[in-house]
Amino acid sequence: MLIGVVPFCAAFIYALLYSFGIVGVLNNGFTLQYWNSVFASGEVLGSFAYSAVVAAISVIFSVSLAMWVTLKFKRELNKRFLAFIIYLPLAIPGIVAAFFTFQLFSKAGFFSRIAYSFGWITEARFFPDLVNDQFSIGVMLTFITVVMPFFVLLFLNVFKNERVEELSNLAFSLGANSSQVTWKVTIPIILRKTWTLIALYFIFLLGAYEVPLILGQESPQMLSVLIIRELNQYDLEKISEGYVVAVIYTFVVSLAAIALFSRKKMTLNEI
Amino acid sequence: MNSIKLCLQFAFIGLFWVSCANETNEPETDIRQESWTKLEEKAKGSEVTFMMWQGSPVLNEYINNYVIPTLKQKYDITLRISGGQGPEIVKLVMGEKQANVQDGQVDMVWINGETFFQLRKIDGLWGPFVEKLPSSEYVNFDNKFISIDFQQPVEYMEAPWGTGQFALVYDTAKTTDPPRNLDELESYLKENPGSFTISNDFSGMTLLKCFMAELGGSPTSLDGPFDQEKYDRLSAELWDFINRNKPHFWKEGTNFPKEHSKMDQMFATGELGLIYGFSEGGVESKVEQGLYPKSTRAYVWDNGTVLNSNFLGIPYNSGNKAGAMVAINFMMSPEGQYNRKLMSGRESRTILDMELLPEEWRRKFDSAPKRKYSPDPEVMAQKAIQEPAPEYMINLFEDFRTEVIEK
Repeated sequence: MLIGVVPFCAAFIYALLYSFGIVGVLNNGFTLQYWNSVFASGEVLGSFAYSAVVAAISVIFSVSLAMWVTLKFKRELNKRFLAFIIYLPLAIPGIVAAFFTFQLFSKAGFFSRIAYSFGWITEARFFPDLVNDQFSIGVMLTFITVVMPFFVLLFLNVFKNERVEELSNLAFSLGANSSQVTWKVTIPIILRKTWTLIALYFIFLLGAYEVPLILGQESPQMLSVLIIRELNQYDLEKISEGYVVAVIYTFVVSLAAIALFSRKKMTLNEI
Repeated sequence: MNSIKLCLQFAFIGLFWVSCANETNEPETDIRQESWTKLEEKAKGSEVTFMMWQGSPVLNEYINNYVIPTLKQKYDITLRISGGQGPEIVKLVMGEKQANVQDGQVDMVWINGETFFQLRKIDGLWGPFVEKLPSSEYVNFDNKFISIDFQQPVEYMEAPWGTGQFALVYDTAKTTDPPRNLDELESYLKENPGSFTISNDFSGMTLLKCFMAELGGSPTSLDGPFDQEKYDRLSAELWDFINRNKPHFWKEGTNFPKEHSKMDQMFATGELGLIYGFSEGGVESKVEQGLYPKSTRAYVWDNGTVLNSNFLGIPYNSGNKAGAMVAINFMMSPEGQYNRKLMSGRESRTILDMELLPEEWRRKFDSAPKRKYSPDPEVMAQKAIQEPAPEYMINLFEDFRTEVIEK
């Protein structure tokens, strides 16, 4: 506990002091100037909203897809080969996945070349924008590929451990039809058991760095990319603004995590 | 709750300790007073940590297979390489300064004007030391591209190591007549939509500086200290030019690449048709490696492109300043520079002045291989622009984001 929390607190306090200009080689004492300019520009708010939307869409798609795969292929997934294929992305680090996506979907990438050689497009630049694009399709695609298998694994385990199969059979014998069983029994049970993890994954994606760095756009940027950019910027007098963003982000995420875990205790007690 | 309190206490104690540690200053005799032979003696058997950008394979090879073994053999100095460039160096020195570290992690750094400016701002460099180095007798310090870095006098605080000119790059197989001024660029963009962009980094901003100099009317229009009024006027014209032509940029100008290495790749795959970069766009080595087609050529803008030098500096808290000085002296020497030219290809230009070199070295430099894909350095240098004051860059970075990317 101490090993994890002490450095975290120290770093947070350091960032907090830096953001108010109290520490820092070029800072000369307490000022609200950096906080004011961060809030005045509105960029952080935009970045927050954008990151949240990207993370939410990715999580929703991953969970839905994983749910569908789990329910549809739960028997087949016990076979080794199929399981291997579907769990393979779990072993791939985010940065590698981002490079794969880039290689496959960029305008000079694999699919573009295929499309070109089949004559579907006349020039490489007519291939649709899928990486570094305005709608962050590449980023979300990568998130979904990496995260989805994890949820499949999770849902399968819950499915077995919670005896969803038996409960479904029970529901059938009580006269429910199959869509009722799926929507009123299976999915609620699985989601109820896993929603904390789903929420944690949302937070994790909110702060993702490598994938949006490689596949994202220059504006708006996802939070971590924005923070690193501010911290590394050329104008040394504005480094404190990076710490302001970092403090805001840490504060929001910590609040969310605390809320999440205090609820978790409740649900554990309820069960 | 108690545990949180405890943590906070610990954290404060930690911070307090960090800020108090190393407060005692030992008086150090100034090694610049000692003779050069004594310095070499002092450096013997020591270890020098060199923080450098490791992004160029040819240069890495030069460092690893030539500089490191030769330093060991000649001066018994072990040179250790640590990866890192501009922002990392600045952050490291800033962090050490904050924590009052007396014996820093790094003894020498490879920097250019932007980092020099930042390090000077935080008093992160030790010096002046360059005139102490025997090799500096072959350097012409009256050359403004060596003695002035981003309009700041170098004042012997950093030693020149290499020099390069910014250039534009195109493929003769695809483009017969590349644009050489902004008007031509405008028509080029209309004919070749999607094949040009501006990277949101040092290279991209350097291109913008070249454009601004043209808008200012002459290669010297941005010389001198930063002029806010001039900047406002010229940058307004520049943003107008870019935003007007943005629809013909890569991705219709909705996005810009983060760094120019990405552009290099896109040029190699043919997605982009016109790119640019320092060291003549790096064409010589990139064609040699097979990344670019042999029909690739580098050229300079009619109004000129930025020529600047890169330097070696010693951080203020280096624990082995003598060793760093000996290593830097060797890397600046005719021997070190000549081998760099041989090994790192035709791109590298020496910082030594041919007039000042002894006859035998001059002949050796003359017989070194000539360039194949870019104009001769002397021809290019006739169209060289000096780096404008750093404030131009700071403002361009900031405004490129607000005026172009976010619009």
